Amino acid sequence: MGSLRAFGVSLCGDKERADDLVQETLFKAWNHLDSFKEGTNLKAWLFTILRNTYFSERRKRRREVEDADGTYAARLATQPAQHGHMDMQDFRAALVRLPDDQREALVLVGAAGFSYEEAAEICGCAVGTIKSRVNRARNRLAGLLGLEELESDLGSQGLSKTA
Amino acid sequence: MDRDANKKDRRRKMPGASKKMDQAVENGAAGTSGETPGAEPDSGLSPTLQAHIGRHVRAVFDEVAREPIPEHLLRLLKNLEQSGDK
Repeated sequence: MGSLRAFGVSLCGDKERADDLVQETLFKAWNHLDSFKEGTNLKAWLFTILRNTYFSERRKRRREVEDADGTYAARLATQPAQHGHMDMQDFRAALVRLPDDQREALVLVGAAGFSYEEAAEICGCAVGTIKSRVNRARNRLAGLLGLEELESDLGSQGLSKTA
Repeated sequence: MDRDANKKDRRRKMPGASKKMDQAVENGAAGTSGETPGAEPDSGLSPTLQAHIGRHVRAVFDEVAREPIPEHLLRLLKNLEQSGDK
């Protein structure tokens, strides 16, 4: 449940809206429980519903008002950092600048604990597509954060201290 | 100059030759990258850097995931679980 909500936040960048998404997801799941296949992955099913809900709402909204790029980025970037680490704030800001499909793939595989196969099912695309999105996301993040140059300076000892 | 251009042209028209070339390039690339099992071969990032990024993605995600769930959502989830037991 917590991770479903966190996934919602990673999609829309707004906790209140993520809560609405979770609520709608649970309602839909409740109403369509018969379409859930016993023995399949309930977590993946819920993530799929939440994702579909978010994107269909966004399509509707886009038709009404052309959402200016960067609104989402600005919203998340101004959220107070609870960690206090500057590098966490940088990282969050960089994550937000990723294209939606790359961030989503990285979050599903890298944080929510899904396999590439499950993530592909949730996003309705091929496993190879997920893999390449995750790779592109990592490369983009490394580029945005200047990690490529850092790596040679830090060598083996430095990287772990920022975790 | 002209002759070189001709050579290139001929090579392009020989599918067998270019295929061999591609293969050689591929093998060369794989040989130098020293593929590590478990690491993503196409990412071009070191395992250390991948792990570093991975930790941060999880940290950002877990920060939200560990927050207390709003009460009305918990109630809803309980209903869902009960109906699953039926």
